[in-house]
Amino acid sequence: MADRLQHPPVIEVGDGAAIPRAGDVGLFTAWRVAFFGAFAAIAYLAATRPDPYFRILLFVPDGILVTFQVTVGAILLALVIGLFTGLGRLARHPLINGAASLYVEVIRGIPLLVQIFYIYYALGRIVHIPDLYSAIVAMAICYGAYMGEIFRAGIQSIPKGQMEAARSLGMTHTQAMSHIIVPQAVRVILPPIGNEFIALLKDSSLVSILAVSDLLRRGREFASETFSYFETYTMVALIYLVITLFFSKLIGLLEERLGVDKRAS
Amino acid sequence: MNRSRLVAIAIVLAAVCLAAALPDQAAAGAARKVTVATDATWPPMEMVDASKKIVGFDVDFLNAVAKEAGFTVTLKNTAWDGIFAGLAAGRYDMIASSVTITDERKRQYDFSDPYINVGQILVVPKTETGKTLAALKGKRVGAQIGTTGAMEIKKVDGVELKTYDEIGLAFEDMAVGRIAGVVCDEPTAAHYALQRKEYKEKFQIVGETFTQESYGFVVKKGNKELVDLLNKGIKAVKAKGIDEQLRKKWLR
Repeated sequence: MADRLQHPPVIEVGDGAAIPRAGDVGLFTAWRVAFFGAFAAIAYLAATRPDPYFRILLFVPDGILVTFQVTVGAILLALVIGLFTGLGRLARHPLINGAASLYVEVIRGIPLLVQIFYIYYALGRIVHIPDLYSAIVAMAICYGAYMGEIFRAGIQSIPKGQMEAARSLGMTHTQAMSHIIVPQAVRVILPPIGNEFIALLKDSSLVSILAVSDLLRRGREFASETFSYFETYTMVALIYLVITLFFSKLIGLLEERLGVDKRAS
Repeated sequence: MNRSRLVAIAIVLAAVCLAAALPDQAAAGAARKVTVATDATWPPMEMVDASKKIVGFDVDFLNAVAKEAGFTVTLKNTAWDGIFAGLAAGRYDMIASSVTITDERKRQYDFSDPYINVGQILVVPKTETGKTLAALKGKRVGAQIGTTGAMEIKKVDGVELKTYDEIGLAFEDMAVGRIAGVVCDEPTAAHYALQRKEYKEKFQIVGETFTQESYGFVVKKGNKELVDLLNKGIKAVKAKGIDEQLRKKWLR
């Protein structure tokens, strides 16, 4: 694969939910059907069979909050890690470049579930991190590596001439990066970051193994005592679906509002 | 690596797999075969030993029952969270996994006669000043998800329950200092707090068992034939005093 991306700058990362845009009629319809369908299903089940469906709805809200906390905390931290990793991957200094590349390779080579266990239990012996924070840190360290690759690709997608022009105006490399290149790259990388956000939201369910009381764990606790496995996981799946679709729509609108470059489809 | 070597390795592997599979089939014989789910993370009742075999009080007891009642046992290591769902779905015939007989569970599943009596007990770090659940108000106490221990913690106002997939993870979290106590069955508590060398120095069991519970084998609702078979076996095992021997072997 060519090291430098050619025009037009297009990055595709497909591990999140599809983000609907007005132009894509098929997906737009699918989004509506799924979103309102899931909503209607939750309302219908809760109304017609309050036991257990409504009881499940009452049991899980604090879990939804924890899911949000983990997702938002992790994405913010991952953005910071990702920016530095992306810049590090492009750095000419062999030590910085090596460190960033090593981080990306190591993290991408270990399953997220294993990383979560590792940071919680193995590192927990050495440094004391409270459970919610260790969940956030684990998710952020993992997603930071992927985010770093997005930043790298985004920065590389900006034509070389931009940097050359900035440098010829007397800017230092750092100045050119922070004032010229990165601001342009941000527009390019917003769609894949939106995608990562959705993917992270879903992957946050993995932290339920840490005894962090997120949506999935609350569901499992409910199911394990009432034995209503089918009902509980139906409800948990529907709630995840509504949340995921809601955010994918929100991100789609945000991107349109910001006039982000359209992705090729 | 060249191809002939690959082929040779493949043949050896296949032979090993076959050899490993054979004794199982030979043992099937005429006797009734019962598939049993157990969550082998609950020492000393059921656990995985160094050679990856599932061992423990329950395993020995069940095998003794099977011998008396004339059936063979195939164990399936199954995560606790979902072990009942698997029974309902027919993935195995019964559960032998330190299951306390409760009314809630009896509504959904059928139980054999009780085969051992236990109780819940609290384990805390030696540095902890609270010696009862009620004294741990405002703190977090751990238990395995869906166990009677978790239900007991929930009953105490002001104590926050944290549920773990395995009881070992709860003890590890207590060793790290994230929770102030763990509630589980007394034999398991004794195993972690008195025998594990990495925990012996750190933990202590406080007070006496505060519930009276009995373990039973669990079968799908309406499977009377298997319940009768199990009860026959349990009766014979108790009559021969085998349960006493096993208690001496596994529980101290």
